[in-house]
Amino acid sequence: MTERFDAVVIGSGAGGGTAAKVLSPLCKDGRRVAVLEWGPKLREEEFTGRELEMAGRLYFDSGGFLTKDKSMTLAFAKAYGGSTVVYTGTSLVIPKETVTRWAVPGLEWEDLRRRSEKYAGENNVHLLGPEAINDNNRLFFDACRTLGWRAAQFPLNLKGCKGSGMCNMGCPNAAKQGTHRVQLPEAERNGVLVVTNCKVERIRPRGRGAELGVVVSSSGIGHPSLWPPGRRTIEADTVILSAGAVQSPALLLRSGFGAGLPALGRYFTAHPALILAAQHENPITNYHGHPKSYYCDHFAETDGFLLETCMYFPFTTAKSLSGFGAAHEAFVSRMDLLQMILVLALDEAERDNRVTIGPNGEPVVDYRLSPKTMRAFVSAMRASARLFFAAGARRVHAPASARFIIDKSAEMDLDTLINEGYMQTGRVAVSSAHLMGGCRMGESAADSVTDARGRVHGLPWLYVADASLFPRCSEVNPYLTVMALADRAAEAARERIASRERAAA
Amino acid sequence: MDAFFSAIAPRLVPGYARLGPDGRRRFAAIIDAALAERPAATRLQLSAFLFLLRWRSLLLHGRPLDRLPAELQDAELCHFEDSKVALFRKGFWGVRTLVFMGYYGRAEAWDEWSYRPSRAGNERLHD
Repeated sequence: MTERFDAVVIGSGAGGGTAAKVLSPLCKDGRRVAVLEWGPKLREEEFTGRELEMAGRLYFDSGGFLTKDKSMTLAFAKAYGGSTVVYTGTSLVIPKETVTRWAVPGLEWEDLRRRSEKYAGENNVHLLGPEAINDNNRLFFDACRTLGWRAAQFPLNLKGCKGSGMCNMGCPNAAKQGTHRVQLPEAERNGVLVVTNCKVERIRPRGRGAELGVVVSSSGIGHPSLWPPGRRTIEADTVILSAGAVQSPALLLRSGFGAGLPALGRYFTAHPALILAAQHENPITNYHGHPKSYYCDHFAETDGFLLETCMYFPFTTAKSLSGFGAAHEAFVSRMDLLQMILVLALDEAERDNRVTIGPNGEPVVDYRLSPKTMRAFVSAMRASARLFFAAGARRVHAPASARFIIDKSAEMDLDTLINEGYMQTGRVAVSSAHLMGGCRMGESAADSVTDARGRVHGLPWLYVADASLFPRCSEVNPYLTVMALADRAAEAARERIASRERAAA
Repeated sequence: MDAFFSAIAPRLVPGYARLGPDGRRRFAAIIDAALAERPAATRLQLSAFLFLLRWRSLLLHGRPLDRLPAELQDAELCHFEDSKVALFRKGFWGVRTLVFMGYYGRAEAWDEWSYRPSRAGNERLHD
C-alpha cells in the first residue's frame, strides 16, 4: 500500500528540522506530515565522544567524503537533527552586506535577520560567561587585541553546557540546542512523523504532487526506525527538500530534474578550511571547555578569510597537520600544549564547482580550489602564525612552508617562510564543514534552481530548505541562516497547502 | 590490511614501533574497517598507489621502499609528499591519513598523547 502525506520533509537538520516545526500545526487540522531522515536517532548513551566511533555513526563517509579531485574532505552528517548534531552551535546572523551580494530578488536582509533572531531565541543562543572560556580561546582573543585585529565572541545555542569539548562528535551532555533538541521534538509533539534510517532514492512528479521511492534500513545503532526495513513508495502533495548542499542537488539530479534546471548542482561553495596548530611551552586548557568561543573577521573584506578558535581530537589533528615522522608526532603527542585556529576561506560561487552524480546516483562533488582561495590560505597562515606567537606559542605549524614547523626565533621571517610555492593540494590538508549552494535561489531557471522562497522553478509542489539555497557563500557560520531560509520556505509551503485546501472547498 | 602499511608506519609515526601486539592488531583493524566502507574503486586506487610507493625505489635504489635504510625511506616519502605531480601528493596524503587513523584513532591510547577529555570539562578549566 502506498502511504500518502500532505507534506514530506526530506532531511532533519537545520533546514528540515525547522521546516518540520513550521509545518507541524497542520497536523492538528488532520493533515499528515512526515520527515524522512537518512541517519539514525542515537540513544543518549551512544554519544560516547570517541572520535572514530562517533564519526562512523554520524557523518557521511565517517567525515572523510572526498571531492572528485581528492583535494578536500567534506564533513556533513546524517542523523536525527542532521549536521546540527555535530556543529559547535555557533549562531550568527548573516551580515547585511552578504545578502546584498547575494542579490536575490525578493530576499531582504531584514526578513532574514528577524527570522534568525526568532530561532536564536528559540534555541537559547547566548554568550558564554568568562568562567567558561578556556586558554585556547582566551589566548586567541587576547592576541587579536594585542595585534589590533577585530575579533568577537560567538553566540552559542547551548543549555547546560558542561564543556566536554566534544561538540563535533555530538554533545554527550545533550547541551547543544540543535534541531534534534528543539524543533524536531516540538514537531513530533504536534503530530509530525519522523522516520529515521530512511533514505529517499528518487522523487517523481505524480499528479499535483510527487511519488517518493525510499529505502528503510536497520543500522544497528540508535532507536529503531518507525518503519520496518525495506523499500516503499510514498506520495506527497508537497515536498520540502532539506538534505543539505551535497545530497539535495544529488537527489534532484538522480531524479531527472537536471534537464529543466541547468543551474542544478552548480555554484557549490564550501568555506574551504585549514586547521592550524601551535605548540606552547606549558600545558594550556584546550580540550576542556567549549572549543569555539571567538572569531576574527578582520581580514574578511581585504584577504577573504576568517579565523576561528577550534580544538579537535587526536586523529583529526594528526591528519590536518602536514608532514610526518618525529616532528609531526612531537606536535600531536602533546595535545595539552596545542593552541588551534580554524581558517575559513570565503570562496567565490563558480559555475563549474558543482555537485554531480556518479554511475550509481551517488553524489560527486567537483570542486577546484581557486588561486584566490589558495592566496587567502597563505595570508591566513601568516596571520595565524603571528597570532600564535603573540599568544606565546614557541613554535607553529605552517603547512605552506618547507618543513611545516616554524620556531619563535624565525618569527620575523614568516612572510618568506610561508609562501604560495608550498601551497599545494595534497600537501596541505583542506577540509570543509560549511557546504552551500547547488540549488541556489534566483529569478529564473536559467541561472538558479528556486525562487526567493525556496520553490523550485516550474515545480510548484517542490521546495528546497537548506544551505543548498545559498547563491554565494554565507561569509559566516551558516546554520542560523539555513533556519531562517527554511522558515521562509516552509511558510510558503504551508500557505500553498492551505490555499489548495481553500480552493478544493 | 596491506602489510606494507605496517612496514612504513614507523616512518610516518615513530610511536608505531613501540606498539605491542594488541596495539598493532588494533591499528590494522581500524585501517581495515576504514577501507571496507570505501568504494571498490577507491580501494583499487589505493592499491595501485601503494604499489608505486613501494616499488619506485627499486628503480632508484635497487630495493623496495620498506627495505631501504630509514633515512632513504624518509627521503622517498618526502619526495611523494612534495611531488610536482598532484596525484602523488594526494596518494601520499591518503596513505598517511590511513596510518594516522590506525594509530591516533585508538581512543584507548588518548592518555599517551596527553589527551584526557572529560564530559564535565568545565570543572577542569580552573584546576
